[in-house]
Amino acid sequence: MHVTAYFALLAAMIICLAGAAAALFALWRNDYGRLAMIEKGHLLASACVVLSSVILTVALWKRDFSFVYVAEYTDTLLPLFYALTAFWAGQAGSLLFWMLTLALFGVFFAVSPAYRSLSAPTRHAYWLFFLVVEAFFLLLLTGPSNPFLEAVPPVPEGRGLNPLLRNPGMIFHPPLLFMGYAGFAIPACLALAGWLTGERASFAAAARNTAILSWIFLTAGIILGGWWSYMELGWGGYWAWDPVENASLIPWLVSTAFIHTAIVERRTKALAKTNVALAVVTFVTCILGTYLVRSGVVESLHAFGEGGVGGPLLLFMLFTLVVLAATLLAGAPFFADRVKPLSGLMSVPGFLVILAWLMLALSAVVFLGTLWPVISKLWSANPVGLDAGFYNRVCLPLFALVTALVAFCPLMSWSEGVRDKAGLGLTVGAFVGGGAILYGLGIHLPVALFAGAASIAAMATVAYVFVRQRHARSRAGALGAYSVHLGLALVTLGVAFSGPYQLNQEAVLTPGKTMEIGGFKLTFKDLEFEENKAVAISRAVIDVTRDGKPVGVLAPERRIYTGFEQPFAEVSTIPSLGDEVYATLVSATEKKAASLKISVNPLINWIWIGGTLMCLAPFASLRRLRRKGE
Amino acid sequence: MAKKSNTPMYLVALTLFLGGLGYLLYSGLGENTAYFLNVSEALAMQPKELSKARLFGTVAEDGIDRPADAMGVSFTLLDKDQAAKTIRVDFKGVVPDTFKPGVEVIVEGGVNPASGTFAASTLMTKCPSKYQKENRG
Repeated sequence: MHVTAYFALLAAMIICLAGAAAALFALWRNDYGRLAMIEKGHLLASACVVLSSVILTVALWKRDFSFVYVAEYTDTLLPLFYALTAFWAGQAGSLLFWMLTLALFGVFFAVSPAYRSLSAPTRHAYWLFFLVVEAFFLLLLTGPSNPFLEAVPPVPEGRGLNPLLRNPGMIFHPPLLFMGYAGFAIPACLALAGWLTGERASFAAAARNTAILSWIFLTAGIILGGWWSYMELGWGGYWAWDPVENASLIPWLVSTAFIHTAIVERRTKALAKTNVALAVVTFVTCILGTYLVRSGVVESLHAFGEGGVGGPLLLFMLFTLVVLAATLLAGAPFFADRVKPLSGLMSVPGFLVILAWLMLALSAVVFLGTLWPVISKLWSANPVGLDAGFYNRVCLPLFALVTALVAFCPLMSWSEGVRDKAGLGLTVGAFVGGGAILYGLGIHLPVALFAGAASIAAMATVAYVFVRQRHARSRAGALGAYSVHLGLALVTLGVAFSGPYQLNQEAVLTPGKTMEIGGFKLTFKDLEFEENKAVAISRAVIDVTRDGKPVGVLAPERRIYTGFEQPFAEVSTIPSLGDEVYATLVSATEKKAASLKISVNPLINWIWIGGTLMCLAPFASLRRLRRKGE
Repeated sequence: MAKKSNTPMYLVALTLFLGGLGYLLYSGLGENTAYFLNVSEALAMQPKELSKARLFGTVAEDGIDRPADAMGVSFTLLDKDQAAKTIRVDFKGVVPDTFKPGVEVIVEGGVNPASGTFAASTLMTKCPSKYQKENRG
């Protein structure tokens, strides 16, 4: 089976290379007779990838430890569900998953109306780029990162899945990110193809649905990752600005910029070149994310370690950027007379351009901050790094500005000036009034106050637009977009308050002792122990009251799983839309002394509520491509 | 539509924007930087330069001094590669269960110039995951 799976990947790579060569030849000779063959080739290559993926899945299911990968990430005690999700627990498997998603995206795109709207040369150019991308991933999978290595001699028992990954949040967080990463390959290939052949219709229309769908996956992956970090890692937060987290944020920021500038192009035909660049850069940052995680270029809390793919990923990113520059030059003559100027700054396009600046600035800051230990070596003998305070100081004001843009943009006109004066009055009123109320409630930090006021104003705008403008309710695109922005406003509210106004306290308590934090009184009742074959649990039981009234019971746990020396914390919370009490049992002794980490997180659940809305609402915006009357 | 160029407006806005961003970056880089060092690198520097640093190292077998039922621990931190290079670390706070001799830890804090010990405000043990440790060869 190992050999079959491996050769299927090898065959897929050869087919992709042959297809790319055929597409290149067709473009060179201006002879477009063999498109059907290239399309069938892609189907065949995809079938090979599916076959390998099925073999790996079956091996995981049967715990076939003759596969090194299966032995590394599962054991016989692991429930079936978690064994199957071990597919993406390691590097080789997650790259195979990425490849599988890429192939499936390619297959579905090839039967979509968007693909059929392209001219024959553009289709060939699209396959040229797309098949090269696929061949690159297959090269990694057949070379440095092969998931089908055979264990010689076979091992009797596997090493088991990391307990941190045995959590619903972690099961879906990585594949969602990979699906997002994979999906953004299509807009990038379409951008290059359309520009290279001088396609009349903008690629932004053909790429719209794929870009939105990929964005949904990426957003959902990031939000789930934050939730997992909060509920499973037990340090009391959801975002630590660790390199691994930043790696997923950078593509999100760039793709958000791209999706918004693409709207400008579809409506006004401006920014054509910008969009080609942004679509490709989005794809490059997706690879950058994997590079940062896998290459060991920066020290991270997460010990992913080097996996031999760092060099190839770096080369591929540089190669893609060179291809982008060459394509922009080669295609420029087609577009010289087609470019429309951008309307004024005080307009919807103007605001969307500012949004793109903000997103690109944020991504540049996060990128530089992450690589600062490497960059600072240029002038400092010892590497200098940046702490979370740096990102909070630089990024949070920019995010607050983004929310303010979201509040005011819907009231602007597409050409110039304000479209809806009454709405503007209401939004300004909500901004000032909301800010005054928050100030009265004791929110005095300028950035938190501004962000809070901006998110109240953004919610007021969305409510106003829904009530006053029929198109906002009836047109699917607008409905989805306004709902995403409502979600963003809720997330901003949560981030603005749960970060700076979080209360933290650590204590060592023995049964009967109490502690107080933010008006809550916590009484440590007892330490319970529980043991079975797979896990040993110690659990602290804590009664929580506020003003003498019972609020709930916290029961944080320490678990020691069979096969893992390290204990793992199971966090306990008392869920609330206001102040959420959060407890981690950091350590426990035989004498029942429990070291506890308690925090009170204001409004934190609005992040998950708003985040969920941001992931679901864009589905309403997906739509069939409208054929222009040509 | 009037045929005027909108470029100057965008340039003014961009200048303002980059100015603001520059200020944020400048202040952030001034106050939120810390040396990221291995123990051997830290020892090569003057203590007064190390008022803010993040050290990477391994917890030594001997010399772990920990009150039984209270917070905090002091221990000797070894360089990852050269075990002879060591620094004494004082940590106040809840000690994680994962802390034990031989594990890789990251401490944040600064060197106390008087005693030469490293006063740590945070102590993190490296994520124990085994995502991929092989292929280092």
